[in-house]
Amino acid sequence: MTQAAPVTDEALREEVRAWLADNWKGLPRSGGGAGWTASPEQKAWLAKVVEARWAVPRWPAAWLGRGLSDAQARIIEREFAAAGAPGAGQDRTNLWANTLLACGTEALKQKLVLPLLRQEVGMCLLYSEPGAGSDLAGIRTRAERVGDHFVVNGQKVWTSGAATADYGMLIARTDWDVPKHKGISFFFLPMKQPGVEVRPLRQITDESHFNEVFITDAIVPAENLLRDLGDGWSVLQTALAYERSVMGESARGGRSGAAESKTEEPLIALAREAGALGDPLLRQDLAQAIAYKRLNALNTARAKADLAQGSSSPVMSLGKLAMSRILHEEARVRTAILGAASLLEGPDHPRSEDANFLALNAYFTSIGGGTDQIQRNIIGERVLGLPREPEVDRDIPFREVRSGR
Amino acid sequence: MASLSAEERSALRDAVSRLLADKSTEADVRRTMETETGYDSGLWGQLAEMGVTGLVIEEAYGGAGAGPMEVEAVMEAAGAALLCSPLLASSVLAAELLRALGDEDAKARLLPDMAAGKTIVTAALTGDAGTWVEDGVSVTADAVDEAFALNGVASYVLNGQNADVLLVLARADDGLAVFEVDPKADGVSLAGLPTFDHTLRLARITFSGAPARRIGGAAWRAVQAAIDLALVALAGEQAGAAQRCLDFTVDYAKNRYQFGRAIGSFQAIKHMAADLLLETESAISAARHAAARLAEGAADAEAAVSLAAFACADAFTRTTADAVQMHGGIAFTWAHPAHLYLRRARADAQLFGASPAHRERFLKALGA
Repeated sequence: MTQAAPVTDEALREEVRAWLADNWKGLPRSGGGAGWTASPEQKAWLAKVVEARWAVPRWPAAWLGRGLSDAQARIIEREFAAAGAPGAGQDRTNLWANTLLACGTEALKQKLVLPLLRQEVGMCLLYSEPGAGSDLAGIRTRAERVGDHFVVNGQKVWTSGAATADYGMLIARTDWDVPKHKGISFFFLPMKQPGVEVRPLRQITDESHFNEVFITDAIVPAENLLRDLGDGWSVLQTALAYERSVMGESARGGRSGAAESKTEEPLIALAREAGALGDPLLRQDLAQAIAYKRLNALNTARAKADLAQGSSSPVMSLGKLAMSRILHEEARVRTAILGAASLLEGPDHPRSEDANFLALNAYFTSIGGGTDQIQRNIIGERVLGLPREPEVDRDIPFREVRSGR
Repeated sequence: MASLSAEERSALRDAVSRLLADKSTEADVRRTMETETGYDSGLWGQLAEMGVTGLVIEEAYGGAGAGPMEVEAVMEAAGAALLCSPLLASSVLAAELLRALGDEDAKARLLPDMAAGKTIVTAALTGDAGTWVEDGVSVTADAVDEAFALNGVASYVLNGQNADVLLVLARADDGLAVFEVDPKADGVSLAGLPTFDHTLRLARITFSGAPARRIGGAAWRAVQAAIDLALVALAGEQAGAAQRCLDFTVDYAKNRYQFGRAIGSFQAIKHMAADLLLETESAISAARHAAARLAEGAADAEAAVSLAAFACADAFTRTTADAVQMHGGIAFTWAHPAHLYLRRARADAQLFGASPAHRERFLKALGA
């Protein structure tokens, strides 16, 4: 394959528009799948997008790309978005394929890059453990080399999509005699094997989006090791960077399906509906909760404008903290509006169900992806330049690191 | 100078910052705040040369013809340096009041010297209670031949002590109107008020048959326009000051050692600092957004201005309060500048209405 000749923005835009006009006919609505498995129609469409080289335009031609600049790739993404067509710009969003292309063995890339772009294989993340949450380098799941494969034992948690996944991106400890960050390796673990048991985890919200994964003498071929043995922490940082870049600002709202006002701030509409809009104390809380949302939107807009002018903004790192504050405050004000009615739930009380769900699910943001406290450490250290918290376990062999029970 | 680009605006902010880094140091602020006038006339002249005193005054009257966004940018720099000056009173509040009233005769008489920094004008808008609302106005105006005589009290008048001309909101037979008064005239007695924030000048003015000249235009609407611009200016001041306050506090946390560690390595300090960064960055976003919406005359300008008013006031007060706490004992002394910022924050949070009133106005502007 040869590198495509440089194209002008206008020619590129015309080409992608023409291609979409010829090929994009829409997709049937997927029937309630949680987004972890693609329908046959979706897979067929993605295969077309990959074949036409729209899926990963920033990637080199040798790997299904066009070697385009970020600016030109965004032209393609915008055209796909305008048409409502999925699949373009996976070189920005496809966590699995990006990690694999950057860090995988040649054999594993040949085997999985194409299926990943076509979503023909399902994936999950095997990072967190019951004893290693925010401190991921404290993992105790072990992988031991036996001939041309590794044998894995341990337990993972918070794994979305584990039940349907074909592979899990696994971090496991392969050396116990070096400091904790140095003895970790990164694998693509085949999930459909007898040593891998997936158990749904019942959450605080009474839902089960996550699973526990129990791994007992499961096998990983040596070619599924990414980068070198003991170099897993650096692969993980690559993968986490992709993950953060695709985690949108989209927080989940209620789950009752009750209609929300399109024209009015939902909190105001709820207070109006509940006859509580005249309460002066509540009005103060309403204003503050709405303000938190608006301020976050203004921060995001300013960060984008700064970025467009070529300067980076510390504001980008504040989104998660802001979102936690927004969600917890919104839940609190919703509950205050409803008063005693928030004691109830079920189909006859959708407003209560939404408020109570939000109150519980707000922790998804303030604990998930590293707690808010870890985020404050990161902001303090990386944005404000404050000195690092001393780490007592950084330089001692992991075997000697103290762990709780 | 009308409608600067974003780059030009930030160049303006930087130019004012550089001047103030030189002329409004902590030592300058401490010296100036103890003087009778409470501002440095030399520095005022330099600000006039830069066009800052005439920022919102039309070019026809010697001003720069700029708008809310330029005012906000300058005030960020002024707030960071705790500038002691009649900028808010004269160059923002009074200048915008005159613009909004639209009385050409009054504008021609007053604006050129205001723009040049030669005349300081302030607006007396409140009664004795210091509430910036229509009901609070307690000065009355009686027609006497061709002129008017004012009676009553206006208090919390910003930089009243410094004013060469007073613009007084008073009740006439036909409703509220704005009157031009010479503070040295018979029937005007002016008393400086002892202020908690020593960088601030407030006066209580008693009118006893004081001669006044009526200025044309819709008075209350013009007062609201002037207060909205003053709120944007204040929001900029608060955002800029909060950011400076956070900066010197973070520096301190890097250099102050206790228990063998820089205190900034303790999570208790680090987490406060991270929260304050969210507060100050949000304040900057809110202040700049409000300025932009007001400049456009957008339909949602009122919501944007009131949001900035309480978000910036709350951010600044919280930042200064936490800054004192994070500094520990040193910040409890007069010698440390933290209390200067704390005092300014608490004062700014009361000018033109406090946060609860702005939250209420914000909610109303959203249709609730």
